[in-house]
Amino acid sequence: MSVSEFVEGPLWYFSVAVFVVGVLWRLLVMLSRGYQKNYSEPRASAIAGAIGTNITRFVPHKQFMPRIKLTVYAGYLFHVGLFALLIFAAPHMEFLRDHVVGFEWVVMPHWLFLITAEMAFIGLLILWLHRIMHPVTRMITTKGDHLASILTFIVMLTGCLALARSYESLRILHLFSCELLLIYFPFSMLMHTFTVFFSRGYMGAHFGRRGVNI
Amino acid sequence: MSVDMNMFQGFLQQIKGLADMAQATDFSDEERVSRAKAVFAAKLDTPKAVDMESCVHCGLCAEACHFYVTTEDARYTPIHKLDLLKRFYRREKGAFGWFYRMTTPDITAQELEQWQELVYDSCTECGRCGIVCPMGIDIASMVNVMRQGLAEAGLIPAELRAVMQEQGGRGTVFGAGPDMLKALVEEIRAEGLDVPLDKEKADILVLSSTLDIQLYKDVLRSTVKVMNQLGVNWTIHTCAFEGANFGMLSGYEQVQKMASERITQEAIKCGAKTVIVPECGHAYPAMRWEGANEHGGPLPFEVLAVSEFLGREIGSGRLQVKALSGDKVVTYHDPCKVGRHGGVLDEPRTVLKALGVDLREMDSHGTMNYCCGGGAGVFLINRASELRQKVFELKSQQVDDTGAGALVTSCGSCRINFMGAAAKANWQKPIHSLMELVGENLA
Repeated sequence: MSVSEFVEGPLWYFSVAVFVVGVLWRLLVMLSRGYQKNYSEPRASAIAGAIGTNITRFVPHKQFMPRIKLTVYAGYLFHVGLFALLIFAAPHMEFLRDHVVGFEWVVMPHWLFLITAEMAFIGLLILWLHRIMHPVTRMITTKGDHLASILTFIVMLTGCLALARSYESLRILHLFSCELLLIYFPFSMLMHTFTVFFSRGYMGAHFGRRGVNI
Repeated sequence: MSVDMNMFQGFLQQIKGLADMAQATDFSDEERVSRAKAVFAAKLDTPKAVDMESCVHCGLCAEACHFYVTTEDARYTPIHKLDLLKRFYRREKGAFGWFYRMTTPDITAQELEQWQELVYDSCTECGRCGIVCPMGIDIASMVNVMRQGLAEAGLIPAELRAVMQEQGGRGTVFGAGPDMLKALVEEIRAEGLDVPLDKEKADILVLSSTLDIQLYKDVLRSTVKVMNQLGVNWTIHTCAFEGANFGMLSGYEQVQKMASERITQEAIKCGAKTVIVPECGHAYPAMRWEGANEHGGPLPFEVLAVSEFLGREIGSGRLQVKALSGDKVVTYHDPCKVGRHGGVLDEPRTVLKALGVDLREMDSHGTMNYCCGGGAGVFLINRASELRQKVFELKSQQVDDTGAGALVTSCGSCRINFMGAAAKANWQKPIHSLMELVGENLA
């Protein structure tokens, strides 16, 4: 078996299995801790609060913006760029069409791909520099956070290198880096991709039943 | 509307001597760790486990915290205050505990002692950090879990421990018991006001607090005037009048339950339909949101903050007030536990509007309000006085920026904290109680 066959075959299935089982296991353990009874009379709807906070938390309150704008803007550059690349880059759509979902959708033109890739790189680099340079983030950042940032950077870099689709080895390198990221994902803070909806929801429910619009 | 400044200074002196009154709690290091961990394990339910798993270490919570904003000291980053709890969760309750038990050390008694400063002195559980968190992590609730763990491990700061032990033992707070309440009631009765003390049956049970009985007597006097004006069937009880709950503030649940159950049982006994919590920030969640949980079932009465009650009565037209005389340009400080945590934000503003004031809101108000700096018992911790003073600089600047001539609030703890810091800073603006303003301006 060649390296490319291994990366496209057993390692791909292994990494997807680790990702799926790991994510489900971490969610299951987290969500099966149970709930403490709350007998207090609610003032308003907890469910409405949970839904509302999941939406409103996408935009920080303007009160905070003067102190947090760098993180917010860099965060949006990175996340919007990354998701656009993941879903609307032509090679990704083709890969997902052929291996996962079985149908296709509209993809980005090349020029837009370049813009979103630059957005994602700039966002990630700013966030990473902020992690290293700001006293607060430097103190609370873990080695695992750095590893997640480095893996994400490598995935994006190899993806750009493979964009021209001129060299098969570059495509295999990109797939390999994606597989490493998938394997690391369930053990890392990348899990926030899924937990964000729960944490926002529980906070929204908490304040919602108290009638506080946060 | 006057505060006896000698009494005020005496109160501050009393706070300075509190630590000497605390009884020691002797546990071995192993006992401290195992007791704290038992609490952590019991309290980390699904919503908290989700929070433990969700932090992306972005540091935004620091930018919302009054202690970080005023000191720029990274140690005060709110999420950092939960490091021990997170480590405990990952090692012992998380999905990959086997891995974390191999790679991270267990929490130690020395670390629990170190974290005392972070979860007591430098956190008022105001919850502003949770409002900025993009993940929606409720950090304040988990700081409370940290406090509960430290309390069980015998690591409550001495000042809070002294008052908690007093409330758990004698049932008094700063010595305010039935005799002190009766003395104040007699003083008020001597002015010609009727005070229905210890009525067997009443629709409304009114609570008070040690601060109102010893220092802010006009607040209780005003409460009496308002209730009488409304002509409702009310009472205040000598055996269940104290709204302050130092079990909750210190994190010691046994005393929290004892203090809130004393009120609940008395309210049930006298058939109250409503319990009115005094101007005391944490007393509101202690009864409104936690009272039923400590009781073990729904409460057969409603619980209202006094500012909520006033807003409701004035808003409905049942209570009439006249416009304030003198300086009408004021600003309002929302007590965190009543406002951001409690949802009582519109009612005090309804009251102020009825009083005809020119309300100038601070840059941060309502759910965005900055804490006074002394909430969650921090106003009693002597070594935190410098930190509180820094927060006061921020807060007083916000008040000054509004152009208001006076600050109004509806929390005795906020008020005493502001007054103490204002005296040190020689800040001259008056700090009023909302209830007092109403009581002195009844139509």
